[in-house]
Amino acid sequence: MKFVAVIRQVPDGESRLKIQGNRVDLSGATLILDQMDEYAVEETLRLKEKHGGEAIVVGFGPERTEEAIRTALAMGADRGIHVVYEGFADPVAVAEALAGVIQEEAPTLVVTGGQQADWDSQALGAALAEALGVPVVSWTTALELEGETAKAKHDLDEGAEWVRVRLPAVFTTQQGLNEPRYPTLPGIMKAKKKEVKKVAFQGAPKVEILEETIQEKTRLQKILDGKDPVAAAEELVRLLHEEAKVL
Amino acid sequence: MVLVVLDHDGNKLRKGSLEALTRARALAEALGSKVVGVLLAEEKAPAEEALAYVETLYTATLGPYTAEKWAAGVLAAARQVGAQAVVAPSSRQSRTYLGRVAYALKAGLLEDTLESTVEGGAVVATRYAYLNRVTQKVRAALPVVLTVKPNTTPLAEPLPTRGEVKTLEVPSVPTVEVLERLQEEKKGVSLTEADIVVTGGRGMGSAEAFRLVEELAALLGGAVGATRAVVDAGWRPYSEQVGQTGKTVQPSLYIALGVSGAVQHLAGMNKSKYIVAVNKDPEAPIFKHADYGIVGDVHQVVPALIEAVKRLKD
Amino acid sequence: MPVDFSLTEEQKQLQALARRFAKEVILPVAAEYDEKEEVPWPVIERLHEVGLLNAIIPEAYGGMGLKMLDEVIVGEELAYACMGIYTIPMASDLGITPVLLAGTEEQKRRFLTPLTQKPALAAFALSEPGNGSDAAALRTRAVRQGDHYVLNGTKMWISNGGEAEWVVVFATVNPELRHKGVVALVVEKGTPGFQAVKIHGKMGQRASGTYELIFEDVKVPVENRLGEEGEGFKIAMNTLNKTRIPVAAGSVGVARRALDEAKKYAKEREAFGQPIANFQAIQFKLADMMIGIETARMYTYYAAWLADQGLPHAHASAIAKAYASEIAFEAANQAIQIHGGYGYVREFPVEKLLRDVKLNQIYEGTNEIQRLIIARHVLAE
Repeated sequence: MKFVAVIRQVPDGESRLKIQGNRVDLSGATLILDQMDEYAVEETLRLKEKHGGEAIVVGFGPERTEEAIRTALAMGADRGIHVVYEGFADPVAVAEALAGVIQEEAPTLVVTGGQQADWDSQALGAALAEALGVPVVSWTTALELEGETAKAKHDLDEGAEWVRVRLPAVFTTQQGLNEPRYPTLPGIMKAKKKEVKKVAFQGAPKVEILEETIQEKTRLQKILDGKDPVAAAEELVRLLHEEAKVL
Repeated sequence: MVLVVLDHDGNKLRKGSLEALTRARALAEALGSKVVGVLLAEEKAPAEEALAYVETLYTATLGPYTAEKWAAGVLAAARQVGAQAVVAPSSRQSRTYLGRVAYALKAGLLEDTLESTVEGGAVVATRYAYLNRVTQKVRAALPVVLTVKPNTTPLAEPLPTRGEVKTLEVPSVPTVEVLERLQEEKKGVSLTEADIVVTGGRGMGSAEAFRLVEELAALLGGAVGATRAVVDAGWRPYSEQVGQTGKTVQPSLYIALGVSGAVQHLAGMNKSKYIVAVNKDPEAPIFKHADYGIVGDVHQVVPALIEAVKRLKD
Repeated sequence: MPVDFSLTEEQKQLQALARRFAKEVILPVAAEYDEKEEVPWPVIERLHEVGLLNAIIPEAYGGMGLKMLDEVIVGEELAYACMGIYTIPMASDLGITPVLLAGTEEQKRRFLTPLTQKPALAAFALSEPGNGSDAAALRTRAVRQGDHYVLNGTKMWISNGGEAEWVVVFATVNPELRHKGVVALVVEKGTPGFQAVKIHGKMGQRASGTYELIFEDVKVPVENRLGEEGEGFKIAMNTLNKTRIPVAAGSVGVARRALDEAKKYAKEREAFGQPIANFQAIQFKLADMMIGIETARMYTYYAAWLADQGLPHAHASAIAKAYASEIAFEAANQAIQIHGGYGYVREFPVEKLLRDVKLNQIYEGTNEIQRLIIARHVLAE
């Protein structure tokens, strides 16, 4: 069996973002394996440990994305494929680029993050599923293999459901799916010897970024002392009613 | 043609559908085109209500929701009318099935947009990126698939004349089999559409203490939200989670009770019009992002707030 | 020879691992263990799980064979979260190093391999109640009786002394021989007559266990002797020449934390209607901290590189240790100053930085001893 995790490298949510020439400048940011994709890597490792086979990590992005692929290899993935592209590409273009690479592997299933921490897109899993001609289960919180099918629990807009799906299929992750392991030191050392195949990006982005800005809303910062809770609550409600006019 | 996907709860159109309609009409006008609606139902759908808003409405009843069936439905309608743009309210489900649709149409996908216009035959939209911290202006040539972020757009008005229904032929597609729907008890308004959200954090102390959060939310006609720590602790369902891995909300008023204000949480609510924080720690990062706040114990302040709101209402 | 300041891909991953570990595992519990003055076993277990414990043990004995440069990269990150907690794995490496330097194949297998198989620690016992810096004046006696030594005496300020699986104890077979009479013996936990008494009431680094070790007629087999009789002093000095480098790395970590905390506070705290970060008096302090951090880290890397190349590094490790611990102490001191009254209370993390890093100026050779080593090097040229 082959389990594929599709990953990207993104800025750490806590690192400060700068704008340089109408674009987000990541040169000073800490870049990490997207935490939603990290669930995907962990899930493929658990599936491999339980059912045998191979865990493959497929990364999309600029040259530096290899760091995130190496992190996944250090967590325990067997080998990596890196589709290299230096700019922004929308999920449809990324899916186009990855579909061929993934089809060649003929995986049992594919897992990727539910949402990207840089472009805030939720569509890659779905677009990839369409490209591969297989079903997608989004916001997955539980996943079990049952022969030729998988049983999965996933979030809907309201509530959740259990589904059964014939494999291969694409799953996108939700928090709660698993608790990702650390890339251990022995893992890092072993990862050094693992293969990362480089593939050039085929395709053209369909969406273009014209401008990026950081608009931090200035907050009023009227903070009241709650030593007298009744008086503070009274004042707050007055402010919300008379000043903000939201009550 | 501009195809608008009308989302509903079986009985009524969702508010987001009316926002999507406004956008669809504006795009259609700029493109010299028309708006056509598609209404997909599990069992029943508010077709009568929808007909007040569009001249032509394609409907299909598809049984339990799956991304594949809904994608097939939208795609069938889009192909039938030769859609240059597909517009839909943004939700987790729509962002999933429209990912499929966008790929199938080889369209530019503009997710969760705040605004959209037509410039030189292409659609230009703004949206948030980098966990809601950056505003992106993006452009895509036609065709496009565009989702509309809730609470960003005026609601559409009904048309003077009623439209006509056309039944849509939706081909069957390989999809998932729904085994069991775990419906959560619906309490009040939907989180992403609510104009007021009251969120409890770890500082609430216990699942029981969320009675206070619920009471305040109900009193204000708002929705209850929760932080990751709270849903991880099992105090609240995951569907109430606001933040990076939960839902993104942008209400007029966001009240954070016992919420510290981790970056991952801020990502889900930092665009709210007004933010109110109650926390006993004056150093809690949430205060940096608050318009109003009270430094104090939620167990004392929240009951006082409830009383104060009641007095205001009287 | 080319000068290359870049880290390898593996070193970057190692740094990321250590940074994440520090943030997620150490930082949340640092204040608690400091308060309780208790050794954080759950953290040690996690260190073992991710492979960061005793990682300098070579692969042949089940370890990771980390080089000194790797170790300082890790050290800075762990100490950023808590110098006291970092001292635990660091002091274990201090115990392991004499075995690496002077142990036979058999000894390495016997002592080192078990330390890679479970969360376990080693320790190094040189200082005594009556002598620390004057290591050649030690009084713990080892008397050879047939196939074993009989050990009597007391060791003082021994990190991990009560937790360690074994302790490398330096003793003398004849005090009159001074350093020529020193022998290094591995004393295993539970050996009859060997007792460890925890020292309470430490100013800082309270999460690391510090012990007084008492030896009363402790029988140590000759197979546990590292090197020959009389080589003990040299083994101890060669060990410290290496292990002072991680102390420097830990100091850099503390200094970096001090700067981060000071910067954060200076941007938030307002005085005279503006953030205090706008004032040059504050800016100069932040700049001085940065100067210290950057230069100390650079020199620590250099000392580590020398050690990894097998080049002489006694004076470089002494410079790194003395310099880094001093800039770190000053950074912690200035971070408190920037915090004003808030810096003086435990609610804010900066007072702990000062309490913790004070020890970096004392252990593994006081900074005065480091200056002697450096001066000796200067005068020998």
